[in-house]
Amino acid sequence: MIRAAWQALVGGPLRSSPGRTLLAVLAIACGIALGFSVHLVNASAAAEFRRAALQLAGEADLVIRGPRQGFDEMLYPRIAGLPGIAIASPALEFQASRTAAAPALKIIGIDALRARELQPALFAGEALPAIDLFDPDNILLSAAAARAFGVSTGDRLDFLAGTETVRLRVAAILPDGAYRQPLGIMDIAAAQWRFGMTGTLHRIDVRVEPQADMLSVQRSLQTLLPAGVHVLSPDAENRRSAALTRAYRTNLDMLALIALFTGAFVVYSTQTLAILRRRMQISLLRALGVSRPAVLGLLLGEGAAIGAAGGLIGIAAGGLLAHQLLAASGVDLGAGYFRQMQANLHVEPVTLVFFLLLGVVFAVIGTLAPALEISGLPPAQGLRAGDPAGQTPGSRPLRYGLAAIAGAALLLWLPHPGELPLPGYAAIALLLLGSVLVLPPVAIGLLRALPLQLPMPHALGLARLIATPRHVAISMSSILVSFSLVVAMLLMIHSFRTSLDTWLHQVLPADIHVRAASSGETGYLTPAVQQRITELPGLQRVEFLRSVNLLLHPQRPAMTLIARDPGDGGFARTLPLVDTPPALPEGSPPAAWISELVADVLQLRPGDRLLLPLGEQPQAWIVAGIWRDYARQNGAIVIDRADYIRLTGDLRINDLAAWLAPGVTVEAAADGIRHAIGNGSALDIADTRDIRRLSLAIFDRTFAVTWALQIAALAIGLLGVGLAFSAQALARRQEFGMLRHLGMTRREIAVMLAGEGALSSAVGALCGMACGGVIGLLLIRVINRQSFHWSMDLAVPWLLLPLLFCSIVLCAALAARCTAVLATRSEMTRAVREDW
Amino acid sequence: MLSLSHLHKAYREPDARPVLQDVNLELHPGEYIAIVGESGSGKSTLLNLVAGLELPDSGKILLDNRDLTTLDDGARTRLRRSRMGFVFQAFLLLPHLTVLDNAALSLKLNGVAHREAQQRAHAMLEAVGLSGLVHRFPGTLSGGESQRVAIARALAHRPQVVLADEPTGNLDPGSAGQVLALLREQIRSCNSIGILVTHSMAAAASADRCYRLDGGVLRPE
Amino acid sequence: MLLATLPALGLGRAQAAETPATAFAAVRPDYRISFPHDHGSHPEYRVEWWYVTGWLRSAGHPDRGFQITFFRARPRLTAGNPSRFNPEHVIIAHAAIADSRHGRLLHVQRAARQGFGLAGSETGNTRVWLDQWQLVRDGPRYRSVIAAPEMGLNLVMTPGQPPLLQGVQGYSRKGPGAESASHYYSIPHLRVAGELRAGGNVQAVTGEAWLDHEWSSSYLEPDAAGWDWMGINLADGGAVMAFRIRDRRGCTLWTGGAWRDAAGRTRNFRPEEVQLVPLRRWRSPRTGADYPVAFTVTAGPVEFSLEPLMDDQENDTRATTGAVYWEGAMRAYRQGREIGRGYLELTGYLRPLAI
Repeated sequence: MIRAAWQALVGGPLRSSPGRTLLAVLAIACGIALGFSVHLVNASAAAEFRRAALQLAGEADLVIRGPRQGFDEMLYPRIAGLPGIAIASPALEFQASRTAAAPALKIIGIDALRARELQPALFAGEALPAIDLFDPDNILLSAAAARAFGVSTGDRLDFLAGTETVRLRVAAILPDGAYRQPLGIMDIAAAQWRFGMTGTLHRIDVRVEPQADMLSVQRSLQTLLPAGVHVLSPDAENRRSAALTRAYRTNLDMLALIALFTGAFVVYSTQTLAILRRRMQISLLRALGVSRPAVLGLLLGEGAAIGAAGGLIGIAAGGLLAHQLLAASGVDLGAGYFRQMQANLHVEPVTLVFFLLLGVVFAVIGTLAPALEISGLPPAQGLRAGDPAGQTPGSRPLRYGLAAIAGAALLLWLPHPGELPLPGYAAIALLLLGSVLVLPPVAIGLLRALPLQLPMPHALGLARLIATPRHVAISMSSILVSFSLVVAMLLMIHSFRTSLDTWLHQVLPADIHVRAASSGETGYLTPAVQQRITELPGLQRVEFLRSVNLLLHPQRPAMTLIARDPGDGGFARTLPLVDTPPALPEGSPPAAWISELVADVLQLRPGDRLLLPLGEQPQAWIVAGIWRDYARQNGAIVIDRADYIRLTGDLRINDLAAWLAPGVTVEAAADGIRHAIGNGSALDIADTRDIRRLSLAIFDRTFAVTWALQIAALAIGLLGVGLAFSAQALARRQEFGMLRHLGMTRREIAVMLAGEGALSSAVGALCGMACGGVIGLLLIRVINRQSFHWSMDLAVPWLLLPLLFCSIVLCAALAARCTAVLATRSEMTRAVREDW
Repeated sequence: MLSLSHLHKAYREPDARPVLQDVNLELHPGEYIAIVGESGSGKSTLLNLVAGLELPDSGKILLDNRDLTTLDDGARTRLRRSRMGFVFQAFLLLPHLTVLDNAALSLKLNGVAHREAQQRAHAMLEAVGLSGLVHRFPGTLSGGESQRVAIARALAHRPQVVLADEPTGNLDPGSAGQVLALLREQIRSCNSIGILVTHSMAAAASADRCYRLDGGVLRPE
Repeated sequence: MLLATLPALGLGRAQAAETPATAFAAVRPDYRISFPHDHGSHPEYRVEWWYVTGWLRSAGHPDRGFQITFFRARPRLTAGNPSRFNPEHVIIAHAAIADSRHGRLLHVQRAARQGFGLAGSETGNTRVWLDQWQLVRDGPRYRSVIAAPEMGLNLVMTPGQPPLLQGVQGYSRKGPGAESASHYYSIPHLRVAGELRAGGNVQAVTGEAWLDHEWSSSYLEPDAAGWDWMGINLADGGAVMAFRIRDRRGCTLWTGGAWRDAAGRTRNFRPEEVQLVPLRRWRSPRTGADYPVAFTVTAGPVEFSLEPLMDDQENDTRATTGAVYWEGAMRAYRQGREIGRGYLELTGYLRPLAI
């Protein structure tokens, strides 16, 4: 019985028109592929990150870590002598700048004798005992570093300490599995000496005695540590590094989920149409005695089968896509978070099953509503001629839709957990859902308001649209969903880019910017060199900048402290402030200007006090203002360099900005500066215009992946239009045949269909524009603010939006026309004699 | 005047049995004929040829001395739009248009302005006795009422030729009689040429003359 | 005598000529050992070790061997590094227990650079330490602590005899070249009392030990591959030390030794007076090295055969010194009767020692 029913209901239609089922499968596959690939890339990145971090921490129970400029090495014997400590392994860890423009290399200076038991990676095999690590000219490279630099054992590598060149010999290359990331290993004494870091440590890895209580050891350790130095478990250490990229990864995940949502919507559309089309068969089966649950089960089973097929294809395609993405742009999809890291595709069976189930679940959900409706229809009513799609929508969806939109507004008041703007994303989902529900009545209203005296074929099309809200709603809401996502992303990216451009002009006012090294931390300029640069005739004005790192929050990566000259009119004028700073009371401590992230993480407002571990004792500072910083994702604090020198006595600088005297070219000034330094080859001297250009290019690369998502969203939307029209076209063959008899040409019928497609997509796109505008605002004001802690000014891409609107209307018109014409390819005129 | 001479038509099927063989017919304005025949006797093909929806293998179809078979599809479509009216067995009203809009459809397709089209359609509906239902939708009409709307649509633009394909096939005997009478009356009042295709001898009796199509050969009954 | 092979630390490497390198004091025949000063460290020499081996008795357990070694090694460094981490000296410690019930050595090892008070060696008297591990001469007694999760030793060792200066007044030749030599004295018949811990099981122990203290800057001839060394406390109160240096072909390059009889008279042997003839070999299943684990020894008038407590007393210290050697507790027999106990050390059997 059921087999016969399945044959009548599913098998037959599938054989006679496999294309429509294929479309539904493809829609699910599309969503799953996008979601799965983004998830895979993210998971691979995260796993790689975790593996690399864990390997670096080795088998330590606790890690003591200070700011990037390190802490006093005399802490080491005090910690090693503490009861409960089995092994304490001191280390330097820094980004060594390279001469020339080569990328910096992370160098770890270790006491191999102490690290032996904590760093099994290093001592696996016999790589280490075979070489002389004590030789201060020697460096060991991880396989990844050797690959990145293209060097082999015995080659020399030049690094930078201040402006001096440090030449090291590649004594050995560690086996591939030892460390995943590019890094160099040196003896701790050699590293201290060669890179001018005597007396300093960055890290002490600790193994606790087996019988000792970890927590109490951790507590007694913390009491020994000066401000800015923290003791962490390797796990927390790993979380701390992962926090750097979590927001970025979560946002990508969410975008992928939205793509999946769009895919599910298409499934809903297809299934609704497919079920409406088979209403006669279904009613016949019901009349012949198949029970309602059986019909429901058949339809849901069909949905599940479509979901499973789509899921399988999607997983395969997604895996392939992820592989290509990883190969093409690295684990961060070009965003530059995990530079030079090599990731392997990381797939867990659980994930596979999850995404497969996701496809099935979404497909079943998409089928549920129409299946319930049609199986509940009394068979007699279903058998009668007449198009149920012609029914006007009730007021229920309108009410639900308004409720969803109201819920979205409410969600924005909820607190967000950590840096994950989950309520924001939920609000976006609700807003989309609400818009889809509200759309049909709104769209019908809009269409009714159009003058009915359209030229002839279009008047017919319009009447048809108004009369069939169900079908129209499906094509319109496909467009609405996809177009609003695209508009939202465009709005956000355009606003971000515009704000970034403005910001770049504000923070880079000088003509040239000089960095002691293009990357890394070991390059700096001494006071003598600074003096010589100041005296150069080609430079009108020079500002110096020293940047160091501070660990202000144990759970977060180090923040950047920037000590620089305030410039013309003080920091209030030269920093890109968020608000006008308040006047500070007389006798306030020195002023610190914090970036938005610092303000959020440490919950500081202008006028608040802030302790900075600079100099001997932590000093109190007053928050003078909050500025926007797109460059340092871990937070930055700007102070006057005079205050910094007074407290620390550190006269070195990393960067300088210079204004050229009239008539002096950038090249001439650069030559002058290089000459003043002597060993100037390592200096990174850049024309400010080039920096701006480069920054924007990096921005564009970072967001390149969103273009793929936008195109996918648009494609899915157009697919929805095509589906709706092809489904109607079959039902409309008699209508077309009659119109041919009445003297309409094929062309006129095609034009009428294109007009219908254009009209419905125009309404959908208009509503999508409104909905997308709101979502864009949410992305700008809520999501970005919460996950990245940066604000941006709204900027509307006035040129792009209308262009996009026109192209989607055009595409929808074409899609409607083509699919309908395809579906009625056989002689329409014969259809007038068909009876149903 | 509509004149068919020596029409031949065969479909390209394996046995290639001719559908029409040397069909000749001459009809003048105001003439109303019926063509009867079994299913598959070529009635529909003959109708399609007259409407210009299909072309004969040989022979001529002259409407006011213009040979339809020499025109391209566009010209034939325009000719059909302005000079012909259709009544179908399944009514084929557009469900999303009102009775009035349905009746005005052919007028509008012929470029008549909205207001005038509505007035003329209204007058036509009055003539078929449906002036009370003009704002109803087709879904709410009975079969007889629907076919009367279809007759109004077919004749609203005063076509030279009205083609009715089994117009009573979906109707009960009572309504069928009414519709046939109405059809004859309207064709007369428009001075059109009427061709009624049916397999019902009772329906055929409402026409002036009757022909039988048998094995592709047309001969008077 | 013993282990001087620290390739991991660059001790034995041919030096890069371009940088000014560490200068080491030379071993001289005219150096006169004086106590207590020479109990202490000699940082100007390249390598130095204090080496305690012996037998331990405890209730309800067969006799066990033990070994505690502290090395001080001075890598050849580029001059001028101001870092406190600069590895001027590296302290390495090995300890092992030979238990016939266990069937192989229980051994632990550790290494650290001298400095920060965490590891070091003092001049003037014996005090060498590495974290909690130490060997200290405290008055006339030595105290040693080894504490690792796997095993621990906490021993007090009291000399019953004066130091025995090896070679000529403590100048001990290791090869035909006069520069291949060390300053070397031994203290045989140390009385031992204390605690032994294997895993979590602590036992009181007593016993007898032998201490070697040796320092040098140029130990082996370039052609030398390793050595066989033994130090035996004789049951009659005498003590005998004998060694041979082997070349890379396995032939004897040099031999030496000394005998102090029960009456306290000392005799140093000329190279031709010492003969070590292997009796039996044992191949390590872990490394594949093939060791002669039993010998017939002829040293002047002294003749005996040596049998190990057990065959597997191989000690893999590649993690700290880069060497694999055999260091085992031995019994000395003459005509089937046990006449003494001590230790045998076999080096350079897996591959030549790179000195």
